[in-house]
Amino acid sequence: MRERVLVAMSGGVDSSVAAALLVKQGYDVVGATMKLFCHGEDLPDRPCCSLDSVNDARRICEQLGVPHYVLNLESAFGRDVVQDFVAEYARGRTPIPCVRCNTFTKFRDLLKKADVIDARWIATGHYAQMRDGVLHRGLDPAKDQSYFLWGIERRVVSRMLLPVGAQTKAETRAVAHELGLELIAEKAESQDICFVPDGDHMKIIARELGADAPSLRPGPFVRRDGTVLGEHDGFARYTVGQRRGLPGGFREPMFVVEIRPSSREVVIGPRDELLGRGVVAREVNWLVSPPSVGDEVEVQIRHHAAPARGVLVRSEPDEVEIALDEPVSAISPGQSLVLYAGSIVLGGGVIERARRGLPILAARERQYGTPELQ
Amino acid sequence: MPDPIYLDHAATTPVRDEVLEAMLPFFGARFGNPSSVHRWGREARTALDEAHERVARCLGASADEVVFTSCGTEADNMALLGVWRARRAQGRSAVVTTPIEHKAVLAAAHQAKKEGGEERLLAMTTDGLVDDASFDALVDEKVAICSVMWVNNEIGVLQPVPALAARAKAKGVVFHTDAVQAFGKVLVDARTTAFDVLSLSGHKIGAPKGIGALYVRRGTPIEPLMFGGTQDRGRRPGTENVAMAVGLARAAELAVAEREHEWTTLAALRDRLEAALLERIPDAVIHGRGAPRAPHILNISVPGTDSESLLMALDLRGIACSAGSACQSGSISPSHVLAAIGVPADLATSAIRMSLGCLTTDACVDRVADVFPMLVEKARRLTMA
Repeated sequence: MRERVLVAMSGGVDSSVAAALLVKQGYDVVGATMKLFCHGEDLPDRPCCSLDSVNDARRICEQLGVPHYVLNLESAFGRDVVQDFVAEYARGRTPIPCVRCNTFTKFRDLLKKADVIDARWIATGHYAQMRDGVLHRGLDPAKDQSYFLWGIERRVVSRMLLPVGAQTKAETRAVAHELGLELIAEKAESQDICFVPDGDHMKIIARELGADAPSLRPGPFVRRDGTVLGEHDGFARYTVGQRRGLPGGFREPMFVVEIRPSSREVVIGPRDELLGRGVVAREVNWLVSPPSVGDEVEVQIRHHAAPARGVLVRSEPDEVEIALDEPVSAISPGQSLVLYAGSIVLGGGVIERARRGLPILAARERQYGTPELQ
Repeated sequence: MPDPIYLDHAATTPVRDEVLEAMLPFFGARFGNPSSVHRWGREARTALDEAHERVARCLGASADEVVFTSCGTEADNMALLGVWRARRAQGRSAVVTTPIEHKAVLAAAHQAKKEGGEERLLAMTTDGLVDDASFDALVDEKVAICSVMWVNNEIGVLQPVPALAARAKAKGVVFHTDAVQAFGKVLVDARTTAFDVLSLSGHKIGAPKGIGALYVRRGTPIEPLMFGGTQDRGRRPGTENVAMAVGLARAAELAVAEREHEWTTLAALRDRLEAALLERIPDAVIHGRGAPRAPHILNISVPGTDSESLLMALDLRGIACSAGSACQSGSISPSHVLAAIGVPADLATSAIRMSLGCLTTDACVDRVADVFPMLVEKARRLTMA
């Protein structure tokens, strides 16, 4: 009997081709489009999650001769993704809702639906690869989306298929044409955060927390030494590493180096104040057997950043700390720390804070009581 | 896989052979415009007049009391807004309806509110019936129109329309009933029941989608929704859909002729299905079970399941049911009907509507009685895990 796979289809080219490839490979494909939020009549259609997208996915499924369903995950998505997104900004951090969406909504919640319909597998159009139950980077470095997938539970990962991860975007489009999926073959890429209207996350924060939320109220721009440099119009507008929207008149470029939500201060400083030698991350999830303290790892602290080398210096069930071989710029709380070994995704966590000094000594001391430099 | 089973007759029904046959000439040689003066026009006009008469006969009404519309939704809108707009100037600016109506009625009542009217929603009992005290309190001299659906499309509950209509009349209130699900199941007779306005839809009774009708008792004040020609006395301008009107007339005649037999047959099938499901799923809840129900709708909730997953699983096994109300994207939202009659949210989100009709056989019942409990058991096992 053919194995059934539930494919999450956004109506875009990647997930459509994923479904088509699985049909071609002989799977019993069932398509599903997740309705994650509803803008109601507030907004014109957007490239992602809009009604048109649902209709495109349905038409592709008709073309492929497979059933298609719309899954209403609005309340789960609101709880697991949107609320966290807003809460993180309120804490002065810069969240990645896509990570939580993948962790909770797109894979975990989809798997529940898969179970009910006896689907052995779930699949998406992500550019990452599954090889023998291990998650690898997508083959196309320009498209690799593995950075967003570290949070998925291992029991879920073991049931994932990622059919387009071994090809480039251009190849995916070519396959779409080859298979006659003209409806979506040249569809534009969705870029912004899907539920944020016009790319303005302030609107969402104002909607969820009220327009007078502390993160939206004016506060001071300060230097690390406490000098006040002016006033900003809400720290939720700022991200560590940001240059735009800061006071001018300095001899060197200035950046946001820290956000202090309790005093609503946005700390700015020159480039060297952005450099970190260590990263602490929480909400840790391992996709393989966890590496040991002292192991060398490659880490990525931002999508599309070049991997940096470091050493795992502390590993607790919910917190890890990495000592970086070279200083890394703009380690932003709320973003993801993802650990790799070559193309293999080992796991990751949510960045809690950066350390400006090399963390090895302190960490080693706490772990072993023997201060020594490596 | 065995033949698929269609258990969604409350959503729509296939066009009956007799209906299609009756319509075909009007897509061909008898294509005329009923407003034309020549022979083609006369021929079409005759067919249309006859269709009015035939539908009227099915309702115990006169031909001039029947307005053809494009669907049930248009009929409901015309009833509520048409009557409300005609009466608001006389100090009757309120609209009364129930919270379990079809969205066509609820949204029309809401539109009246947007245009300056007052919207009053009746309280419901947990069985799904209109609360008597609430009816007496809300239906007063300020009310232009009161609308209560005869048979609810989600749970099948049958409201005491004859009694409610009489009570509304006593207060000088125009009484409308959405009879889209009731027609062909219950006796609809304008001579013995005091409704003033009544909505019908063709595709629920074997006519095509795209045709409905509104009964308007003589003397009922009503304004048109659209403006244009003088068709149907100006109540519904626009070139008449002759073929579909003829189709609706044929379908209505068949529905009336077969009504009692239909009720008996469907009630027997429904009762058997219900009993079988309750036997295998003892804690299942049948919504509206404490009230009189039309025989073609069975709405069941099983604690620990969700309708979205069950509908998928059923469909993949070839069984077509529905749940709640689907939005434009096709995603399911929790039912406003179940919420309004006090069904807890977790139970409401597991509701599945099975609606029986011309395609339902004993074999269908047997298979659903077999497959549904199996899927439920599986879904519950997964919820527990």
